[in-house]
Amino acid sequence: MRDTRRARLILGLLLTAALVILTVDHRTGVGSPLEPLRAGGSWLFGTAERFGASVVRPVGEFFGMLADAPRAHEQIKRLEADNARLRRDLVTSQLDRRRSTQLERMLGLASLGRYTVVPANVVARRGHPGFEDAVEIDAGADDGVRRDMTVLNGQGLVGRVVQVSATTSTVVLLSDPASAAGARLVDGDEIGVVNGVGDGGRLVRFRLLDSTASLSPGLRLVSFGSHKGTPYVPGVPIGVIERVEATPGELTRIAYARPYADLTALDVVGVVVGGPRRDPRGALLPDEARTQP
Amino acid sequence: MIAALTVVAAILLQVTVVNRVPLPGGGGPDLVLLAVVGLALTRGPVTGAVIGFCAGLLTDLAPPTAHVAGQYAFVFAAVGFLAGRGVRGMVPTVVVCVLVAPLLAAAIGGLIGDPRVTPDVLVRSLPASAVYTLLLAPPTVWLVTRVHRRYRA
Repeated sequence: MRDTRRARLILGLLLTAALVILTVDHRTGVGSPLEPLRAGGSWLFGTAERFGASVVRPVGEFFGMLADAPRAHEQIKRLEADNARLRRDLVTSQLDRRRSTQLERMLGLASLGRYTVVPANVVARRGHPGFEDAVEIDAGADDGVRRDMTVLNGQGLVGRVVQVSATTSTVVLLSDPASAAGARLVDGDEIGVVNGVGDGGRLVRFRLLDSTASLSPGLRLVSFGSHKGTPYVPGVPIGVIERVEATPGELTRIAYARPYADLTALDVVGVVVGGPRRDPRGALLPDEARTQP
Repeated sequence: MIAALTVVAAILLQVTVVNRVPLPGGGGPDLVLLAVVGLALTRGPVTGAVIGFCAGLLTDLAPPTAHVAGQYAFVFAAVGFLAGRGVRGMVPTVVVCVLVAPLLAAAIGGLIGDPRVTPDVLVRSLPASAVYTLLLAPPTVWLVTRVHRRYRA
Protein backbone atom coordinates (compact mmCIF):
# COMPACT_ATOMS: atom_id res chain seq x y z
CA MET A 1 0.00 0.00 0.00
CA ARG A 2 1.77 3.12 -1.18
CA ASP A 3 0.65 6.68 -1.24
CA THR A 4 -3.12 6.24 -1.65
CA ARG A 5 -6.07 8.51 -0.93
CA ARG A 6 -6.87 6.50 2.16
CA ALA A 7 -3.34 6.93 3.51
CA ARG A 8 -3.58 10.68 3.02
CA LEU A 9 -6.97 10.77 4.69
CA ILE A 10 -5.63 8.93 7.73
CA LEU A 11 -2.59 11.18 7.90
CA GLY A 12 -4.86 14.21 7.72
CA LEU A 13 -7.04 12.88 10.53
CA LEU A 14 -4.04 12.15 12.75
CA LEU A 15 -2.50 15.56 12.15
CA THR A 16 -5.83 17.23 12.90
CA ALA A 17 -6.15 15.21 16.11
CA ALA A 18 -2.64 16.28 17.12
CA LEU A 19 -3.47 19.92 16.41
CA VAL A 20 -6.69 19.69 18.44
CA ILE A 21 -4.80 18.20 21.40
CA LEU A 22 -2.14 20.88 21.01
CA THR A 23 -4.64 23.73 20.94
CA VAL A 24 -6.69 22.43 23.87
CA ASP A 25 -3.59 21.89 25.99
CA HIS A 26 -2.07 25.22 25.04
CA ARG A 27 -5.19 27.26 25.67
CA THR A 28 -6.15 25.72 29.00
CA GLY A 29 -2.68 25.63 30.59
CA VAL A 30 -2.62 24.23 34.12
CA GLY A 31 -6.29 23.20 34.27
CA SER A 32 -5.92 21.26 31.03
CA PRO A 33 -8.27 18.30 30.44
CA LEU A 34 -5.13 16.38 29.46
CA GLU A 35 -3.83 16.66 33.01
CA PRO A 36 -5.17 13.22 34.11
CA LEU A 37 -3.58 11.67 31.02
CA ARG A 38 -0.32 13.39 31.80
CA ALA A 39 -0.51 12.23 35.43
CA GLY A 40 -1.05 8.68 34.19
CA GLY A 41 1.95 8.92 31.88
CA SER A 42 3.95 10.46 34.69
CA TRP A 43 3.11 7.58 37.01
CA LEU A 44 3.79 4.88 34.43
CA PHE A 45 6.96 6.29 32.88
CA GLY A 46 8.15 7.72 36.18
CA THR A 47 8.15 4.28 37.75
CA ALA A 48 9.88 2.78 34.73
CA GLU A 49 12.46 5.58 34.76
CA ARG A 50 13.18 5.03 38.43
CA PHE A 51 13.96 1.38 37.82
CA GLY A 52 15.78 2.22 34.61
CA ALA A 53 17.98 4.73 36.40
CA SER A 54 18.96 2.26 39.10
CA VAL A 55 20.11 -0.13 36.37
CA VAL A 56 21.79 2.52 34.26
CA ARG A 57 23.65 4.31 37.05
CA PRO A 58 26.32 1.63 37.70
CA VAL A 59 26.97 1.41 33.95
CA GLY A 60 27.33 5.16 33.69
CA GLU A 61 29.60 5.25 36.72
CA PHE A 62 31.75 2.55 35.18
CA PHE A 63 32.29 4.55 32.01
CA GLY A 64 32.85 7.68 34.05
CA MET A 65 35.49 5.79 36.02
CA LEU A 66 37.27 4.68 32.85
CA ALA A 67 37.35 8.25 31.60
CA ASP A 68 38.67 9.51 34.93
CA ALA A 69 41.34 6.81 35.37
CA PRO A 70 44.31 8.96 34.26
CA ARG A 71 43.36 11.61 36.75
CA ALA A 72 42.64 9.17 39.58
CA HIS A 73 46.29 8.68 40.55
CA GLU A 74 46.80 12.39 40.94
CA GLN A 75 43.60 12.61 42.91
CA ILE A 76 44.68 9.90 45.35
CA LYS A 77 47.86 11.82 46.06
CA ARG A 78 45.90 14.99 46.64
CA LEU A 79 43.42 13.22 48.89
CA GLU A 80 46.21 11.77 51.00
CA ALA A 81 47.62 15.24 51.53
CA ASP A 82 44.13 16.51 52.32
CA ASN A 83 43.65 13.73 54.86
CA ALA A 84 46.76 14.68 56.76
CA ARG A 85 45.70 18.29 56.82
CA LEU A 86 42.16 17.43 57.93
CA ARG A 87 43.40 15.28 60.80
CA ARG A 88 45.40 18.24 61.98
CA ASP A 89 42.45 20.55 61.60
CA LEU A 90 40.18 18.20 63.51
CA VAL A 91 42.02 18.84 66.74
CA THR A 92 41.68 22.57 66.46
CA SER A 93 38.12 22.43 65.19
CA GLN A 94 36.84 20.80 68.36
CA LEU A 95 37.69 23.95 70.20
CA ASP A 96 36.13 26.09 67.50
CA ARG A 97 32.99 24.02 67.44
CA ARG A 98 32.17 24.64 71.05
CA ARG A 99 32.56 28.32 70.48
CA SER A 100 30.49 28.30 67.31
CA THR A 101 27.54 26.48 68.91
CA GLN A 102 27.41 29.16 71.53
CA LEU A 103 27.50 31.84 68.90
CA GLU A 104 24.81 30.12 66.87
CA ARG A 105 22.54 29.86 69.85
CA MET A 106 23.10 33.47 70.62
CA LEU A 107 22.30 34.76 67.19
CA GLY A 108 19.53 32.23 66.59
CA LEU A 109 20.24 32.51 62.89
CA ALA A 110 21.21 28.98 62.07
CA SER A 111 17.72 27.63 62.45
CA LEU A 112 16.21 30.64 60.67
CA GLY A 113 18.44 30.46 57.64
CA ARG A 114 18.03 26.74 57.14
CA TYR A 115 15.75 25.14 54.62
CA THR A 116 13.94 21.85 55.02
CA VAL A 117 15.22 19.90 52.06
CA VAL A 118 14.11 16.56 50.65
CA PRO A 119 17.00 14.88 48.81
CA ALA A 120 16.35 13.22 45.45
CA ASN A 121 18.16 11.63 42.53
CA VAL A 122 17.78 12.65 38.91
CA VAL A 123 16.39 9.65 37.04
CA ALA A 124 15.67 11.06 33.58
CA ARG A 125 16.36 14.12 31.51
CA ARG A 126 14.58 15.80 28.62
CA GLY A 127 16.51 17.58 25.94
CA HIS A 128 15.61 15.63 22.84
CA PRO A 129 13.03 15.33 21.55
CA GLY A 130 11.87 18.70 22.73
CA PHE A 131 13.35 22.10 23.32
CA GLU A 132 12.88 22.18 27.07
CA ASP A 133 15.48 21.57 29.74
CA ALA A 134 13.76 19.43 32.35
CA VAL A 135 14.68 16.51 34.59
CA GLU A 136 12.70 13.85 36.43
CA ILE A 137 13.58 13.24 40.08
CA ASP A 138 12.67 10.27 42.27
CA ALA A 139 10.85 12.22 44.97
CA GLY A 140 7.14 12.98 44.68
CA ALA A 141 3.99 13.87 46.56
CA ASP A 142 4.65 11.02 49.01
CA ASP A 143 7.83 12.80 50.10
CA GLY A 144 6.06 16.11 50.55
CA VAL A 145 6.99 17.60 47.18
CA ARG A 146 4.43 19.97 45.68
CA ARG A 147 4.18 21.99 42.50
CA ASP A 148 6.26 25.20 42.36
CA MET A 149 8.83 24.23 44.96
CA THR A 150 12.46 25.29 44.70
CA VAL A 151 15.03 22.69 43.68
CA LEU A 152 18.71 23.17 44.53
CA ASN A 153 21.86 21.15 44.95
CA GLY A 154 25.02 21.54 46.98
CA GLN A 155 26.25 24.34 44.74
CA GLY A 156 23.19 26.46 44.09
CA LEU A 157 19.79 26.88 42.50
CA VAL A 158 18.73 24.19 40.01
CA GLY A 159 15.11 24.90 39.09
CA ARG A 160 11.52 24.47 40.17
CA VAL A 161 8.99 21.65 40.33
CA VAL A 162 6.32 21.83 37.64
CA GLN A 163 4.58 18.49 37.94
CA VAL A 164 4.27 15.95 40.74
CA SER A 165 3.17 12.33 40.81
CA ALA A 166 3.22 10.05 43.85
CA THR A 167 6.87 9.03 43.64
CA THR A 168 8.43 11.20 40.94
CA SER A 169 8.29 14.83 39.92
CA THR A 170 9.34 16.96 36.97
CA VAL A 171 11.75 19.84 37.46
CA VAL A 172 12.23 22.62 34.93
CA LEU A 173 15.87 23.74 35.10
CA LEU A 174 17.18 27.25 35.41
CA SER A 175 18.64 26.86 31.93
CA ASP A 176 15.23 26.31 30.30
CA PRO A 177 14.55 29.31 28.06
CA ALA A 178 10.94 29.46 29.26
CA SER A 179 11.84 29.69 32.93
CA ALA A 180 12.40 32.98 34.70
CA ALA A 181 13.70 33.51 38.21
CA GLY A 182 14.01 36.73 40.16
CA ALA A 183 17.63 37.43 41.08
CA ARG A 184 19.47 39.96 43.18
CA LEU A 185 23.07 41.11 42.96
CA VAL A 186 24.72 40.35 46.28
CA ASP A 187 26.65 43.60 46.25
CA GLY A 188 24.35 46.53 45.70
CA ASP A 189 21.05 44.68 46.06
CA GLU A 190 20.03 45.51 42.49
CA ILE A 191 17.33 43.18 41.19
CA GLY A 192 16.79 41.51 37.85
CA VAL A 193 15.54 38.41 36.09
CA VAL A 194 17.45 35.25 35.19
CA ASN A 195 16.40 33.44 32.00
CA GLY A 196 17.79 30.25 30.53
CA VAL A 197 19.32 30.39 27.07
CA GLY A 198 19.37 26.65 26.40
CA ASP A 199 22.87 25.58 25.46
CA GLY A 200 22.78 22.78 28.05
CA GLY A 201 22.91 25.20 30.97
CA ARG A 202 26.47 26.42 30.69
CA LEU A 203 25.29 30.04 30.90
CA VAL A 204 22.11 31.84 31.92
CA ARG A 205 21.04 35.34 30.96
CA PHE A 206 20.61 37.97 33.67
CA ARG A 207 18.58 41.06 32.88
CA LEU A 208 19.24 43.91 35.31
CA LEU A 209 16.18 46.11 35.68
CA ASP A 210 18.08 49.28 36.55
CA SER A 211 20.08 50.34 33.52
CA THR A 212 22.17 52.83 35.50
CA ALA A 213 23.44 50.35 38.10
CA SER A 214 26.95 49.06 37.71
CA LEU A 215 27.32 45.54 36.39
CA SER A 216 30.65 43.80 35.98
CA PRO A 217 32.01 40.27 35.66
CA GLY A 218 32.61 38.53 38.99
CA LEU A 219 29.49 39.83 40.70
CA ARG A 220 27.37 37.15 42.33
CA LEU A 221 23.66 36.47 42.03
CA VAL A 222 21.27 35.04 44.60
CA SER A 223 17.58 34.28 44.16
CA PHE A 224 15.33 37.22 44.91
CA GLY A 225 12.43 35.16 46.17
CA SER A 226 8.78 35.36 45.29
CA HIS A 227 5.48 35.61 47.11
CA LYS A 228 5.32 32.97 49.90
CA GLY A 229 8.54 31.42 48.66
CA THR A 230 7.02 29.93 45.51
CA PRO A 231 8.40 29.05 43.09
CA TYR A 232 11.77 30.29 44.33
CA VAL A 233 12.81 30.79 47.92
CA PRO A 234 15.06 33.81 48.55
CA GLY A 235 18.79 33.78 49.14
CA VAL A 236 19.79 30.69 47.16
CA PRO A 237 23.02 31.27 45.21
CA ILE A 238 22.43 31.26 41.45
CA GLY A 239 25.70 32.05 39.74
CA VAL A 240 28.49 34.46 39.00
CA ILE A 241 28.43 36.97 36.15
CA GLU A 242 30.86 36.08 33.41
CA ARG A 243 30.36 38.72 30.75
CA VAL A 244 28.28 41.84 30.35
CA GLU A 245 26.66 42.67 27.05
CA ALA A 246 26.80 46.23 25.81
CA THR A 247 23.20 47.40 25.34
CA PRO A 248 23.34 51.15 24.86
CA GLY A 249 20.02 52.94 24.91
CA GLU A 250 18.02 50.06 26.35
CA LEU A 251 15.98 50.08 29.53
CA THR A 252 17.57 46.96 30.97
CA ARG A 253 21.14 45.69 31.02
CA ILE A 254 22.00 42.14 30.01
CA ALA A 255 24.75 39.94 31.37
CA TYR A 256 25.54 36.24 31.12
CA ALA A 257 26.17 34.33 34.33
CA ARG A 258 27.68 30.92 34.96
CA PRO A 259 25.40 28.96 37.33
CA TYR A 260 27.03 27.57 40.48
CA ALA A 261 25.14 24.31 39.98
CA ASP A 262 26.49 22.20 37.12
CA LEU A 263 23.25 21.91 35.16
CA THR A 264 24.80 19.70 32.49
CA ALA A 265 25.52 16.81 34.85
CA LEU A 266 22.97 16.76 37.66
CA ASP A 267 22.65 13.84 40.01
CA VAL A 268 21.72 14.51 43.64
CA VAL A 269 19.39 17.46 44.17
CA GLY A 270 17.22 18.70 47.02
CA VAL A 271 13.67 20.02 46.99
CA VAL A 272 12.93 22.81 49.45
CA VAL A 273 9.75 21.69 51.18
CA GLY A 274 9.96 24.27 53.94
CA GLY A 275 11.55 27.68 53.55
CA PRO A 276 13.28 29.80 56.17
CA ARG A 277 11.25 32.29 58.12
CA ARG A 278 13.23 35.15 56.75
CA ASP A 279 15.58 35.92 53.88
CA PRO A 280 19.05 34.57 54.78
CA ARG A 281 20.64 37.18 52.42
CA GLY A 282 24.03 36.09 51.16
CA ALA A 283 24.56 33.62 54.02
CA LEU A 284 24.12 30.59 51.77
CA LEU A 285 26.71 31.51 49.19
CA PRO A 286 29.44 28.89 48.77
CA ASP A 287 32.67 29.62 50.62
CA GLU A 288 34.77 30.19 47.52
CA ALA A 289 32.26 32.71 46.24
CA ARG A 290 32.11 34.59 49.50
CA THR A 291 35.84 35.14 49.60
CA GLN A 292 35.96 36.49 46.06
CA PRO A 293 36.20 40.29 45.78
CA MET B 1 2.91 -5.10 19.78
CA ILE B 2 6.59 -5.23 18.91
CA ALA B 3 6.28 -1.71 17.53
CA ALA B 4 4.83 -0.47 20.83
CA LEU B 5 7.64 -2.13 22.78
CA THR B 6 10.27 -0.62 20.49
CA VAL B 7 8.83 2.87 20.90
CA VAL B 8 8.56 2.62 24.69
CA ALA B 9 12.10 1.25 24.94
CA ALA B 10 13.36 4.09 22.73
CA ILE B 11 11.65 6.74 24.88
CA LEU B 12 12.99 5.28 28.14
CA LEU B 13 16.49 4.91 26.71
CA GLN B 14 16.34 8.47 25.43
CA VAL B 15 15.36 10.11 28.73
CA THR B 16 17.34 7.94 31.13
CA VAL B 17 20.59 7.53 29.19
CA VAL B 18 21.08 9.60 26.06
CA ASN B 19 19.89 12.96 27.38
CA ARG B 20 22.00 12.69 30.52
CA VAL B 21 25.27 12.48 28.62
CA PRO B 22 26.60 16.02 28.19
CA LEU B 23 27.72 15.96 24.55
CA PRO B 24 29.81 18.74 23.01
CA GLY B 25 27.88 21.15 20.82
CA GLY B 26 24.77 21.31 22.98
CA GLY B 27 22.76 18.74 21.05
CA GLY B 28 22.06 15.05 21.16
CA PRO B 29 20.72 12.17 19.08
CA ASP B 30 16.98 11.51 18.98
CA LEU B 31 16.36 7.77 19.35
CA VAL B 32 12.56 8.04 19.31
CA LEU B 33 12.65 9.68 15.90
CA LEU B 34 14.92 6.94 14.58
CA ALA B 35 12.67 4.22 16.03
CA VAL B 36 9.63 5.76 14.33
CA VAL B 37 11.50 6.05 11.03
CA GLY B 38 12.73 2.46 11.26
CA LEU B 39 9.27 1.08 12.01
CA ALA B 40 7.60 3.16 9.31
CA LEU B 41 10.16 2.01 6.73
CA THR B 42 9.01 -1.58 7.15
CA ARG B 43 5.29 -0.95 7.66
CA GLY B 44 4.26 1.60 5.05
CA PRO B 45 2.71 5.07 5.26
CA VAL B 46 -0.61 4.36 7.04
CA THR B 47 0.81 2.24 9.86
CA GLY B 48 3.83 4.52 9.94
CA ALA B 49 1.64 7.56 10.55
CA VAL B 50 -0.36 5.75 13.26
CA ILE B 51 2.80 4.50 15.00
CA GLY B 52 4.29 7.98 14.73
CA PHE B 53 1.18 9.58 16.22
CA CYS B 54 1.16 7.16 19.18
CA ALA B 55 4.92 7.48 19.74
CA GLY B 56 4.61 11.26 19.65
CA LEU B 57 1.74 11.27 22.13
CA LEU B 58 3.76 9.04 24.48
CA THR B 59 6.74 11.38 24.07
CA ASP B 60 4.48 14.30 24.96
CA LEU B 61 3.24 12.54 28.09
CA ALA B 62 6.35 10.75 29.35
CA PRO B 63 7.99 12.76 32.12
CA PRO B 64 9.95 14.96 32.28
CA THR B 65 7.88 17.19 29.99
CA ALA B 66 7.32 20.90 30.02
CA HIS B 67 6.00 21.40 26.51
CA VAL B 68 2.46 21.43 25.15
CA ALA B 69 1.02 17.95 24.53
CA GLY B 70 0.34 17.15 20.88
CA GLN B 71 3.46 18.79 19.48
CA TYR B 72 5.38 15.58 18.91
CA ALA B 73 2.21 13.63 18.05
CA PHE B 74 1.95 15.97 15.05
CA VAL B 75 5.64 15.84 14.15
CA PHE B 76 6.05 12.07 14.40
CA ALA B 77 2.78 11.34 12.59
CA ALA B 78 4.02 13.40 9.66
CA VAL B 79 7.48 11.82 9.83
CA GLY B 80 6.01 8.31 10.07
CA PHE B 81 3.94 8.94 6.95
CA LEU B 82 6.92 10.39 5.11
CA ALA B 83 9.19 7.49 6.06
CA GLY B 84 6.54 4.91 5.14
CA ARG B 85 5.96 6.54 1.77
CA GLY B 86 9.66 6.78 1.03
CA VAL B 87 11.62 9.46 -0.79
CA ARG B 88 13.62 7.73 -3.54
CA GLY B 89 15.30 4.94 -1.58
CA MET B 90 16.02 4.23 2.03
CA VAL B 91 19.03 6.47 2.74
CA PRO B 92 17.50 9.71 1.37
CA THR B 93 14.29 8.90 3.28
CA VAL B 94 16.10 8.63 6.61
CA VAL B 95 18.12 11.80 5.97
CA VAL B 96 15.06 13.80 4.95
CA CYS B 97 13.10 12.57 7.99
CA VAL B 98 15.91 13.42 10.42
CA LEU B 99 16.18 16.92 8.95
CA VAL B 100 12.44 17.57 8.68
CA ALA B 101 11.42 16.46 12.20
CA PRO B 102 13.22 19.10 14.31
CA LEU B 103 12.30 21.85 11.84
CA LEU B 104 8.63 20.84 12.01
CA ALA B 105 8.79 20.75 15.82
CA ALA B 106 10.40 24.17 15.84
CA ALA B 107 7.76 25.49 13.45
CA ILE B 108 4.93 24.28 15.71
CA GLY B 109 6.70 25.70 18.76
CA GLY B 110 6.96 28.99 16.90
CA LEU B 111 3.26 28.90 15.99
CA ILE B 112 2.15 28.65 19.61
CA GLY B 113 4.71 31.23 20.71
CA ASP B 114 7.05 28.91 22.60
CA PRO B 115 9.82 31.10 24.09
CA ARG B 116 12.25 28.18 23.77
CA VAL B 117 12.32 28.37 19.99
CA THR B 118 14.81 31.15 19.36
CA PRO B 119 17.04 31.85 16.35
CA ASP B 120 19.98 30.83 18.52
CA VAL B 121 18.51 27.35 19.06
CA LEU B 122 17.79 26.99 15.34
CA VAL B 123 21.31 27.95 14.36
CA ARG B 124 23.34 26.13 17.01
CA SER B 125 21.50 23.37 18.81
CA LEU B 126 19.39 21.93 15.98
CA PRO B 127 22.25 21.30 13.51
CA ALA B 128 24.27 19.61 16.28
CA SER B 129 21.33 17.36 17.13
CA ALA B 130 20.75 16.53 13.47
CA VAL B 131 24.40 15.51 13.07
CA TYR B 132 24.28 13.27 16.16
CA THR B 133 21.01 11.70 15.02
CA LEU B 134 22.39 11.05 11.52
CA LEU B 135 25.51 9.46 13.03
CA LEU B 136 23.37 7.14 15.10
CA ALA B 137 20.87 6.50 12.29
CA PRO B 138 22.47 3.52 10.45
CA PRO B 139 22.83 1.21 13.50
CA THR B 140 19.52 2.20 15.08
CA VAL B 141 17.40 1.93 11.94
CA TRP B 142 19.10 -1.35 11.04
CA LEU B 143 18.45 -2.75 14.52
CA VAL B 144 14.81 -1.63 14.60
CA THR B 145 13.96 -2.99 11.15
CA ARG B 146 15.78 -6.26 11.83
CA VAL B 147 14.18 -6.92 15.23
CA HIS B 148 10.83 -5.95 13.80
CA ARG B 149 11.08 -8.29 10.80
CA ARG B 150 12.25 -11.23 12.87
CA TYR B 151 9.53 -11.04 15.51
CA ARG B 152 6.79 -10.28 13.06
CA ALA B 153 7.55 -13.28 10.87
